[in-house]
Amino acid sequence: MKKNDGHQDLNRREFLSGSSLSTLMMLMGGVAIQAQDKPKEEETGATNYQTTGAPVKCGLIGCGAWGREIIKTLAVLPNAPVVAVCDTFAIGRDRAQKSAPNAAAHEDYRKVLDDKEVQAVIVATPSHLHREMVVAALQAGKHVYCEAPLAANHEDARAIAQAVQSAIKVHFQAGLQMRSDPQYLFRLQFIRSGALGKTVKARAQWQKKQSWRTYSAKEMNWRLQRATSPGLIGEIGVHQVDAAIAYINALPVAVTGFGGILRWTDDGRDVPDTVQSVLEFPGGVRLSYEATLASSFDADYEIYYGTDSTIMIRDNKAWMFKEVDAPLLGWEVYAQKDSFYKETGIALILDATKSTKAAAATGPDAAYMESPLRHALAAFVANCNSHAAAVNDFSDNFDISDTAALKEYLDTSINKVKTPHAGLREGYQATVAALKANEAILKGQKIVLQKEWFDLA
Amino acid sequence: MKTTKACGSLLAGCLLVLALARVNAAENWVAYSASPTGSKVKIDGTSTLHAWTMESQLVSGKMEFEPGFKLDPSLKPGKVNARAQISMPVRQFKSTKDAMDQVMQQAMKEPQFPKIEYRLTELVLKEAPKMPEGPYPFDSKGELVIAGVTNKIAMPITLLRVSPTRVKVSGSTDLKMTDYGVTPPAPKLALGALKTGDDIKITFDWVANQRADAAKAP
Repeated sequence: MKKNDGHQDLNRREFLSGSSLSTLMMLMGGVAIQAQDKPKEEETGATNYQTTGAPVKCGLIGCGAWGREIIKTLAVLPNAPVVAVCDTFAIGRDRAQKSAPNAAAHEDYRKVLDDKEVQAVIVATPSHLHREMVVAALQAGKHVYCEAPLAANHEDARAIAQAVQSAIKVHFQAGLQMRSDPQYLFRLQFIRSGALGKTVKARAQWQKKQSWRTYSAKEMNWRLQRATSPGLIGEIGVHQVDAAIAYINALPVAVTGFGGILRWTDDGRDVPDTVQSVLEFPGGVRLSYEATLASSFDADYEIYYGTDSTIMIRDNKAWMFKEVDAPLLGWEVYAQKDSFYKETGIALILDATKSTKAAAATGPDAAYMESPLRHALAAFVANCNSHAAAVNDFSDNFDISDTAALKEYLDTSINKVKTPHAGLREGYQATVAALKANEAILKGQKIVLQKEWFDLA
Repeated sequence: MKTTKACGSLLAGCLLVLALARVNAAENWVAYSASPTGSKVKIDGTSTLHAWTMESQLVSGKMEFEPGFKLDPSLKPGKVNARAQISMPVRQFKSTKDAMDQVMQQAMKEPQFPKIEYRLTELVLKEAPKMPEGPYPFDSKGELVIAGVTNKIAMPITLLRVSPTRVKVSGSTDLKMTDYGVTPPAPKLALGALKTGDDIKITFDWVANQRADAAKAP
């Protein structure tokens, strides 16, 4: 898609993709867009604005591999200083501190919560430890980013949900980072607009050749024991289950599953290393999910099959495969296409033209340099700021002890316009669905999902 | 000297009586305070790309009416003694896009002038309402303060009796950002194609509850 000359061939798609700020301004109104000639700067009176919000001082609780990925990501954000890190495991804590040399290091998470300087905490500890820490953090008045799954069992997830609903003065975000990614939001809009025709089924997989074992200490290998682990579908699959809930736009009504220890048979684990599960959605649509630690073939992807087209998502990229009798959308004629054996995939990329320009200079993955995690943490910081400002402004003008009024104000104003993120509802429902699927896998039977299991109240 | 003293005492007595009468009258003013919920202020604007909207639901303040005031059919067209002070935090105006909100806050010099304020100075009932609960159509005059600049504005407003102790004041007015020293934001874009228009429209619904206690002296 390299341009053949210096001519500015401005078309509508390119115009829309030219700037995220122009896109957001466009989204505010929804009035028809028309391309303009590029005005000279002096004519526009163009001015520079600082669009980065105030710094939110963060504390990281849990410095495992993912915790360290989080702290590295926070380090590149302009307004997310990490002032405290915490882990009971010294090696992880020390490694995390390398990304935040000035952060205080603690072994006990309560020290982080006692630190008045800490405004927000990111809880990235083992899933079965989330409940105690998240509830305590909310009660300490900290904004909370809780990694997914929210908990390792339904009871803990429900306790977290109740605590979040009581802590209305702070922002809560679930670590389903995809929900903040503009590429995901673009795909969601695309799929919801009916591009698949009638959705008939979905498939998702996650495959790696690895043991899931780390270090020798038993508590470090919490993923391998049923007592502490939500299994492959709970720990990893929760993100793909969440995506299916979003794309299919419904909650599952039943889950079936099978699993076994087929490769790692000799290390004392009782968590299956290979699982298959079917999540049934209303209308007979089923998601077939597979995960294994025994084979790395074909890695991870999601596919949504419809009567008009099929959409494949992998490595946060997506392609549409159209049926021959599907209606012509128009833009796909000009879109970037990739070959997959005997199929041709039409690339679904937000800001496609911009990414094409970037790709010319920096390689094929240029469009994806900002990870979903970065988008999610940036959204977290922005949302912490706006939530705190709303609470402070309410307090300055009305009786802050009127909790019902404050909640109504937050629910009808700020909570509706936060930067896209996974909130409690998304985090809780994906967690419940994934945990029940894990339960079905362990029992090898079908579980009909009660609607009330997904209710927050 | 005696005469002077007597006159002085008389004057002091009169002043005291007048002052007491004034306090009594003031205590009977009918006072409403902003409800923490139910209000909404919308700013609509234009740009070289599209129309845009920002909205806030945090509107505080109070409104007071002359003693004996009742929002019912006994209210006759004409001037009503009333005063109001309304206040809105600038940063609670949201567009659904955080970056856009940041741009607007900077254009409105939010750190220096964190609030939009309005003071009502004159209220005239134009005609009797069609329904007993209203809406009652008024002409209003007042002062609007944005980004530290005060301008007199006049606009038609309506008062609706939502319940015996709750009113909704609604209205809208057209403004120019530059009248308040606000430069219409023109964020730098890759294609340099966006410039907001000077004209904006403010539309509001302000909901207030009648206070049990009487208003203080003006």
